[in-house]
Amino acid sequence: MPISDLLQSYLVDNDTWDEMYARASVREQYTKAIDFLQQLSPEELNKKEDLAKKLFMSQGITFTVYNSGEGIEKIFPFDIIPRIITATEWDFIERGIKQRLKALNLFLKDIYSNQFILKDGIIPAQIIFSCPHYLREMHNFAVPYDIYVHISGIDLIRDADGTFYILEDNLRTPSGVSYMLENREITKRIFPDLLPNNNVRSVTEYPNILYRNLVSFSPRQIKNPTIVLLTPGIYNSAYFEHSTLARLMGVELVQGSDLVVDNHKVYMKTTNGLQQVDVIYRRVDDEFLDPLVFNPTSMLGVAGILSAYRKGNVAIVNALGNGVADDKAVYTYVPAMIKYYLSEEPILKNVSTYHLAQEEEREYVFSNIQNMVIKKTNESGGYGMLMGSAASDEEIFQYKNEVLANPREFIAQPIISLSSAPCYMDGKLQARRIDLRPYALCGPDGVEIVPGGLTRVALREGSLIVNSSQGGGSKDTWVLGSQGLAGESE
Amino acid sequence: MLSRVADSLYWMSRYMERADGILRMLKINYAWSQDDIQEFSWKPVLRIFTSLNPEEINGFSLNTRDVLQYMVTGKENSNSVLNIVTLARENARSVQDHITKEMWQCLNDFYHTMRDDNLAVALQKDDPITVLDILIRQGLIYVGTTDVTMARGEGNSFLNIGKFLERAIQSSDILNVKISGLGADDNHADAAYWKYLLLSISGYELYLKTYRGGFEIKNVVEQVVLSDQFPRSVIYSVNHLHRHFERLKTDHSNEGFDNLNFTIGKLKSRIKFSTSSSIIHEGLKKYLTEIRFCLVETGMSLNKNYFA
Amino acid sequence: MPRFIIQHITLYNYEEPVTDSTNQIILFPVEDEHQQLVNQQLTITGDPVVEIYKDYYGNKVGSFMNIAPHRELRIDSKVEVITVPRVLPEDIAEPIKQWSALKLLANDVLFLDFLRQENFSALAEMKAVADAGFYEVVSVYLAVQQLTEYVYTNFKYIQGVTSVETTLEEIWKLKAGVCQDFAHILLAMLRILHIPARYVSGYVCPKDEGMRGEGATHAWVEAYIPSYGWLGLDPTNNCVVNDLHVRLAIGRNFSDCSPVKGTYKGTARQTLEVGVSVAYDDGMVSDEENSFLKSQPVWSNPVDDGLNSYQRYMEMIQQQQ
Repeated sequence: MPISDLLQSYLVDNDTWDEMYARASVREQYTKAIDFLQQLSPEELNKKEDLAKKLFMSQGITFTVYNSGEGIEKIFPFDIIPRIITATEWDFIERGIKQRLKALNLFLKDIYSNQFILKDGIIPAQIIFSCPHYLREMHNFAVPYDIYVHISGIDLIRDADGTFYILEDNLRTPSGVSYMLENREITKRIFPDLLPNNNVRSVTEYPNILYRNLVSFSPRQIKNPTIVLLTPGIYNSAYFEHSTLARLMGVELVQGSDLVVDNHKVYMKTTNGLQQVDVIYRRVDDEFLDPLVFNPTSMLGVAGILSAYRKGNVAIVNALGNGVADDKAVYTYVPAMIKYYLSEEPILKNVSTYHLAQEEEREYVFSNIQNMVIKKTNESGGYGMLMGSAASDEEIFQYKNEVLANPREFIAQPIISLSSAPCYMDGKLQARRIDLRPYALCGPDGVEIVPGGLTRVALREGSLIVNSSQGGGSKDTWVLGSQGLAGESE
Repeated sequence: MLSRVADSLYWMSRYMERADGILRMLKINYAWSQDDIQEFSWKPVLRIFTSLNPEEINGFSLNTRDVLQYMVTGKENSNSVLNIVTLARENARSVQDHITKEMWQCLNDFYHTMRDDNLAVALQKDDPITVLDILIRQGLIYVGTTDVTMARGEGNSFLNIGKFLERAIQSSDILNVKISGLGADDNHADAAYWKYLLLSISGYELYLKTYRGGFEIKNVVEQVVLSDQFPRSVIYSVNHLHRHFERLKTDHSNEGFDNLNFTIGKLKSRIKFSTSSSIIHEGLKKYLTEIRFCLVETGMSLNKNYFA
Repeated sequence: MPRFIIQHITLYNYEEPVTDSTNQIILFPVEDEHQQLVNQQLTITGDPVVEIYKDYYGNKVGSFMNIAPHRELRIDSKVEVITVPRVLPEDIAEPIKQWSALKLLANDVLFLDFLRQENFSALAEMKAVADAGFYEVVSVYLAVQQLTEYVYTNFKYIQGVTSVETTLEEIWKLKAGVCQDFAHILLAMLRILHIPARYVSGYVCPKDEGMRGEGATHAWVEAYIPSYGWLGLDPTNNCVVNDLHVRLAIGRNFSDCSPVKGTYKGTARQTLEVGVSVAYDDGMVSDEENSFLKSQPVWSNPVDDGLNSYQRYMEMIQQQQ
């Protein structure tokens, strides 16, 4: 007998795909978890929620928000109800992302060498040459294994009929993977036995796979190459993630000031003198990486690192210049890239996108602005965007002027009604909009994606914006093993 | 080990040692303030543990609760326990992958305790000893956790070097401020003065057991500078500093190591071959100033040879 | 065929020893049918290994480091170059055909970088001057010379009023500057008229006739003339470039061609002296070594300086994807 009836109060919007509910009944993948949750009283669920909060706080899984000169530690809100993905859905996503990454890597290789895709007119050269992240410095040299995107965090959403769409390709320094790992650890603590009983596939291999890949990129073929994770420092909002990954992989966490380039090799300054560095997993943006070549006032980078990179004395992960591939104006052409380089049909769909630099498309967007979301082409994290459905006339007017001043920097997409999933809030289950960011790793042997990812939640009722900077939270993301293979998770 | 990491470990440890020293000093001085309203003054505490100059100290409210607020939770005081623990935690944060998760969690807890609004209120309204005890215990959990979990490698050496250097400087400063104002044979200060001085560095019971004939300046100097039984004495701290420093020696010769080893060795012999009489004879103030100079020099040399 | 021996010295002095110095030099003369490099001697304090590669625009770029403490950095480049006189455009095609030939280049990968004009608030004013209705009635070859003359007559050549950080906007208002400012203004005007235009850095070797830009590196412009190719234009000296200019690099603007730049750690107090002297094949020397170094204002910030804590903070919290 269920103690509480969680489902009674659960309301799903019309015209929205709900991950748990279909036509007033629970989807199969959710049944076991919901049965279990229904055995718990609201008090017990509240206790679990409290425990989760305490665990995040005491482990320092926080980011710092600066307010009136004082740093305040916040936790990235965590919802205790997992998001569940079936084996079939996952298989589709996995194939789609692998295909996309294969094409994106080929595109980067091409754009920084022969530029066949421009010469064949598949992508207008204007779009590439006007992209601020197109780095001419990346021409005329090869990167190890021709891999540019070693780590990606591609964002997926689902629309009203459940179709998956690619929302954004994050190919530079995608963050959030530590939350995938930590959310899982928290679930283990608050819901003992629930994971094995549901045949949930493990995500713990992520740091091992990444480490193995990093070793393989080492230019020096030595037994124990020196691998470092370069962080902007403790004030960066993702610092927790940087230190977690460094610890899980057992690599050195360094800041720009720890490194120096001598005779085109990178060294770190140790208590025993200089030690050569072979692979740098950097979480510092291109622009700040080498003050000699890019932003001369940057304190975060290392002068001369690019010359060491060019000489092949150090591997940098991800490669520089990837921003030309995840630019939101270039995004439109990814399906074309897949056809061009792989002669395949894209598995995962793009959201239709309007280029505001083109007058007709701009007019169309402006006259349908209440159904549109307008975004800056080179920003991410939900910064600088306009939701036409929620903006005031004044905001729309100002934004239009901004667009007209620099139309190349904006694209628009029809607002997609993201799928919803149950969240435990105020003592009951409530539907909130979500997205999904799986983390894919490219190594010499191909692309690997740990079965899982980060599910971000728009915690405000009715909101479609899941970014943490805009009041989003996250959930543990379960990928179930194939049917009939219960208990045999990788 | 990265130079920056060594530097952060060293400072994290120095800050934690300083926080402990301040908290103990405050606890005992608070007790004294309740005991003897005539003799007692907060001035020496402010002199030892803040960067205020004598003029500012004279202008400072010596109201007990105000001093406690300033010393414990005062945001404007760069040496308040709150600021010191915050600094220790920031250092820990930047070397999270070089300390154990337990150590980090324990510093993190300490930090959140310090920031709790209720703490400041309790310090104003309730029994300050209870508040200070909670904080002292947080520090002790850190010390214990470090001892039990931290690997005995290079990182541990830098932690201990920081701890014992800070402790040696503190003990010589406390002695300097509290005693050197008195004349060479001035044994007239009353028993309470000595008692609280020794209590504040947790050396009262040891003194009673060692010297049975009441308080004498000579004996106090002997215990605080020269006793190798007393864990807060200058010589005890310097010996341990040296022991942990020697572990940094590596196969390939390092000029920096040799220089520093010489500096610390010299300081050690200077103290070892002193007696309480010789110290008082040559002048306590001069002696302590010289020791302090050598300790600061050691710190600067570490900076140059290991942390740069 | 003129032959020049050019010595170019860059000398930094630091008040306190500095460390971790990393530098990039673009001091290697272009080698093509118009210019021949006979030999080059490069001497740098501390004899560091100079790694040379070809950048996106085909320039040879060198990089080197010196991490040990030092008080001086001297970069001494001595080159012997032969230049070949150029045949200038015949300019026979009808202007309208020439201009429409240029419009076809608008999406050409080879010209995109040299056609793109960054937006700046005086652009409208400049557009009024570089007016298509006015210039497109003559041939491209004549138009580019008229624009060169416009810059030459309307801008005053004054040293020290601008720096490498002066914006196009400021130069336009100031109506004064040095060769690189003249070049940047001409570049913008050419690009407004959809004429591909690129920045050139190098040396000017006038021998008898005095020219602006001697004693230091010089800068000018190349414009693309249909059915001819790249034509050099020197707005500082109001002339079409021929065999008295020695090219070091081409790019979109100064920062693609910056002859010497570097970073280091340590004191902000430094001095910079630069000198270029030219010896001609008849043995005549434009300037004696040791007397030709002129001190220069220093614009580069050492790595330890230059950012206020707010900027540093904004940098550290840079958004993550």
